[in-house]
Amino acid sequence: MKVKIALAGNPNSGKTTLFNALTGSNQFVGNWPGVTVEKKEGKIKGFTAKGEEAILVDLPGIYSLSPYTLEEVVSRNFLLGEKPDAIINIIDGTNLERNLYLTTQLTELGIPVIIAVNMMDLVTKNGEELNVERLAKDTGCKVVEISALKGEGIDQLIQRAVSIAKTGKKNSPAHRFEGCVEHAIAHIEEAISGKVDPSMERWYAVKLFERDAKVQESLQLDPSLLAHIEEDIVSCEKEMDDDAESIITGERYNYIGSIIEDCYKKRVKKQLSTSDKIDRIVTNRFLALPIFAAVMFIVYYVSVTTVGSVLTDWTNDTLFGEWIIPGAQSALESIGCASWLTGLLVDGIISGVGAVLGFVPQMLVLFIFLAFLEGCGYMARIAFIMDRIFRKFGLSGKSFIPMLIGTGCGVPGVMASRTIENDRDRKMTIMTTTFIPCGAKLPIIALIAGALFDGAAWVAPSAYFVGIAAIICSGIILKKTKMFAGDPAPFVMELPAYHLPTVGNVLRSMWERGWSFIKKAGTIILLSTIFVWFAQGFGFENGSFGMVEDMENSLLAMIGSAIAWIFAPLGWGDWKAAVAAITGLVAKENVVGTFGILYGFGEVAEDGAEIWGTLANSMTAISAYSFLVFNLLCAPCFAAMGAIKREMNNMKWFWFAIGYQTLLAYVVSLCVYQIGTLVTTGAFGLGTVGAAVLIVGFLYLLFRPYREGQNLTVPKSINGKMNV
Amino acid sequence: MMPLSMAETGRMNQIRKIGGKDETRRFLENLGFVVGGFVTVVSEMSGNLIVNVKESRVAISKEMANKIMV
Repeated sequence: MKVKIALAGNPNSGKTTLFNALTGSNQFVGNWPGVTVEKKEGKIKGFTAKGEEAILVDLPGIYSLSPYTLEEVVSRNFLLGEKPDAIINIIDGTNLERNLYLTTQLTELGIPVIIAVNMMDLVTKNGEELNVERLAKDTGCKVVEISALKGEGIDQLIQRAVSIAKTGKKNSPAHRFEGCVEHAIAHIEEAISGKVDPSMERWYAVKLFERDAKVQESLQLDPSLLAHIEEDIVSCEKEMDDDAESIITGERYNYIGSIIEDCYKKRVKKQLSTSDKIDRIVTNRFLALPIFAAVMFIVYYVSVTTVGSVLTDWTNDTLFGEWIIPGAQSALESIGCASWLTGLLVDGIISGVGAVLGFVPQMLVLFIFLAFLEGCGYMARIAFIMDRIFRKFGLSGKSFIPMLIGTGCGVPGVMASRTIENDRDRKMTIMTTTFIPCGAKLPIIALIAGALFDGAAWVAPSAYFVGIAAIICSGIILKKTKMFAGDPAPFVMELPAYHLPTVGNVLRSMWERGWSFIKKAGTIILLSTIFVWFAQGFGFENGSFGMVEDMENSLLAMIGSAIAWIFAPLGWGDWKAAVAAITGLVAKENVVGTFGILYGFGEVAEDGAEIWGTLANSMTAISAYSFLVFNLLCAPCFAAMGAIKREMNNMKWFWFAIGYQTLLAYVVSLCVYQIGTLVTTGAFGLGTVGAAVLIVGFLYLLFRPYREGQNLTVPKSINGKMNV
Repeated sequence: MMPLSMAETGRMNQIRKIGGKDETRRFLENLGFVVGGFVTVVSEMSGNLIVNVKESRVAISKEMANKIMV
């Protein structure tokens, strides 16, 4: 026998922790059909042995079953359409009033509900008392006390939930509304009787009373019946002097108030809680930014410069550089493997994928920090602190996190944009995150700075400045385009109470993110490294196709020569530079290596010190800087493009993002080269005119008048949890 | 009556009216911002507020806070 149980609850009520505790590692993560809201399913632990199975479906965190946010619609459709055998409703014991609001709606669905009161340990610690039996009586549901964090009460919850699901004993909602509301609802129930599942009559009746458009549509009632129902609603609205939906909301809160009076004992009149006290300091007008900067500095310093770089260097230089690559080379040679196959495996696949995997340890360190910040509740505050600033150029406070991660690697950076629920803000963040120089772009910066600017100290900071300027300008320009126009999403977000996250949850979250990156390295990066290896190793030599000795004869050189003219206006129309930029698409650090091979030096150091002289002869300072800018801003590596495609979830948007990035890179590089040349040499030509025109156009797009809509739209979700 | 955005930090206020489009209002109601309910401003950051409503903390933008009259 197989039972299906849904897990429903407010965001920040401990739902994810409970889900993990109930299912262990038997989880399947996917998306709800048609949307990018995450859907998690898992087998409940300990119920597979007896030939029985209990599947737990994790619904998105929601505050109600109204049809306004995507999460609510998804949850509602699931509950109505698939009718699970039972619902576990997790509620936060320290915040009963708001949590029970959802409970009152769940109990109307005609599906057995069991209430799991979470954080009971905190309730007791605060010296407050909750009478569980009374709560059970008042809500008409079974109630179990649990602490998801400490794993208390979980077994009891599983047993009760499964037994309720098996017996299918429905609980009728214990709550009753004001006389005239009940009267109208009874009338509606009568009118729709026979048209809906009898156990759900009340839910449908309440929704029709609220004039829920989606329900009206799904029932396809006849107009005369609707008109009849409308009469009842209007007369009730008149009597209560309020609109129908607010009447129901008010009635629910009244009822909840009566429950709390009955079963909850507060110790004293409420003082500021610990979380409020922390918030007064951490989000203080004057202290917020310094505290935030200090936290970010520590995160960045540890994960990128100290621990992170030690780990990355070890993986790249020792693990891959000294053990795996030479090991694989000699192993393949000893078994007499064909030299082209050895080349493909060692130089192509292992080196290519290895270069990307080298970033994994560093990213895992960063992810531990992020998981901690998120788990303890500070991440939600970051979004709050940064919102006003980011709002000015069309992004949201939550955009900061993807960009921060993007300084390490663009792939998890783009993936982190998931936390931004507003569609417009999210798309804009995805498009701009990779402008920030990631770890793999640093060698390019070092190469150009060393070869042409004598290692000048300003080059590296200027690269970050270019990235930040690109984000700000893009934000302002895109905000004014038709595609992104529309009502701004107001910032509304629940801030979870501060608490120490458990080690297990931090590690789990770190691993989930790290693993999705590793999987990407195994797929898209693998394919593209094979392609580039093939293209640079094969070509037409002496009239026949085959492996080439001289890379100038390779397919890659052919492609490079064919497109080199495109980059001539940018000052580097040499096919070698074009090819270097192309190989940069596989992984940005390849740019340096490609120059090394093309200039005939073979292996070069990370910053390409050996080729500085040659490069200095083939480029001017201005053209080199233009090359640098192009590589910083243009379409990111394949791995990051893959992430953009997945997060955009739409091919048109994907191409728009890549196209926009490349176009911006081209325009900016063109202007840098042309204007730079004009200033330094006084050379004036067609290119200079073109650059001037582009600058004027750019300034127009940047400063053209724009009125943002004044209507506030409801955000799709206000989950403060930020599951990056 | 004044908008919540002008309320003093740390003082408990009773909500008198919620303005804005129906949809905005319902959304705020679902979060616990109901007429007659109490709300306390915990912190303010260039107009955005952190408020305490029905025992939970919610961060809201200045625009939203302007719609809530206390």
